[in-house]
Amino acid sequence: MGGNQSLPKITPQDKAILDLKLQRDKLKQYQKKIQAVLDREHAIAKAQMAAGHKDRALIALRRRKYQQSLLGKTDEQLENLEQLVSTIEFSLVEVSVLHGLKQGNEVLKEIHKEMNVESVEKLLEETAEAREYQREIGKMLSNNLTLEDEEAVQKELLALQQDITAEATTELELPNVPAAEPVARTSEEPEPALVKKVAIAG
Amino acid sequence: MSLSTHTTISGFLLPSIHSAPPFFTEQPNPTTQSIATEQWIRLILSYARHRKLFVLRVEDAETTDGDWEEILRNDRINRKVLPGHLSNFMKVMVERNLAGYEPPRQMRSVLVYWRLPEEWAEVLYDWVVSSGQLSTILTFYDITDPPIESPLTNIPIPLLRKAIAILGKTGRSQLIAIADGEGVRFLPRSK
Repeated sequence: MGGNQSLPKITPQDKAILDLKLQRDKLKQYQKKIQAVLDREHAIAKAQMAAGHKDRALIALRRRKYQQSLLGKTDEQLENLEQLVSTIEFSLVEVSVLHGLKQGNEVLKEIHKEMNVESVEKLLEETAEAREYQREIGKMLSNNLTLEDEEAVQKELLALQQDITAEATTELELPNVPAAEPVARTSEEPEPALVKKVAIAG
Repeated sequence: MSLSTHTTISGFLLPSIHSAPPFFTEQPNPTTQSIATEQWIRLILSYARHRKLFVLRVEDAETTDGDWEEILRNDRINRKVLPGHLSNFMKVMVERNLAGYEPPRQMRSVLVYWRLPEEWAEVLYDWVVSSGQLSTILTFYDITDPPIESPLTNIPIPLLRKAIAILGKTGRSQLIAIADGEGVRFLPRSK
């Protein structure tokens, strides 16, 4: 397989990151060692106490305390290192984002070059012209049509109209206009209902 | 004495043959011996897988409270594997590529391949991909001692190197060496 040539180059940055990470590993291992020492001193103090050597147990505990402070310090240093590593790695991500943006920008430019304002204007103009032309043709055709067939169309329209009016007159039986006066002012309460009834029946 | 399976303290199920006294000594009949060796190799591999043990030494047959004690000794029938016998198994395992002498050019200790180096390579690559560490520079310590236990925790460096070299053949890994040590970068699978 020709995989070898596709391997990315090892840059000085890569080496620096690796170096930092190796330092970090060393610190971690150092912490492990201190932890072991802590446990050992604790065991020593316990053994000395059991044997009745109080002062020696005290010395062991003091040593233990000192180692403990060292452990705290290495923790801080470790944090520093890890922060640095994270920062570097994040910057690398930013670089690649920037690179991506740059490429995108270039592609956009390339596209714009093909699609400049003048050509768009020209294109739009041409489209408008073509539309105008089309409209004219349409107008011409429709004009021809009206000249020749206007009369026939008019006739047809008239026939339709007559049909509609005929339908309307034969089918609809409209009620007659009531002959009586709608209101009888002098009558009693039920009178309006009566008037209504008459209208419906008619 | 009836032969039966037995579950060890670590939860490993020993096969019934493990409570047969002849199983622990070399057999004069070559056919019997080869069958026994077969069984032993299978037992060693499955026990190594069970306990995630990587290194088998001849002296494991001599020490008590070693990692391998549960299979190399059977106190219920008062038997244990003798060192010479064990080193024979080791030899056969190395011949069949089920183990490798580590360090090389000696025959007292082997790396047990309960996963073949090729399989380890895939496990390694899967771990890198699933933990999003492609294209990140990793130290060996990052791999063998990750903050969260992974399938590769405590993998011996020589075995790790083999796996990395296998991935390197397909352009999926790149070793980076500086004065202070080494690191590795895993790369996306090329199309």
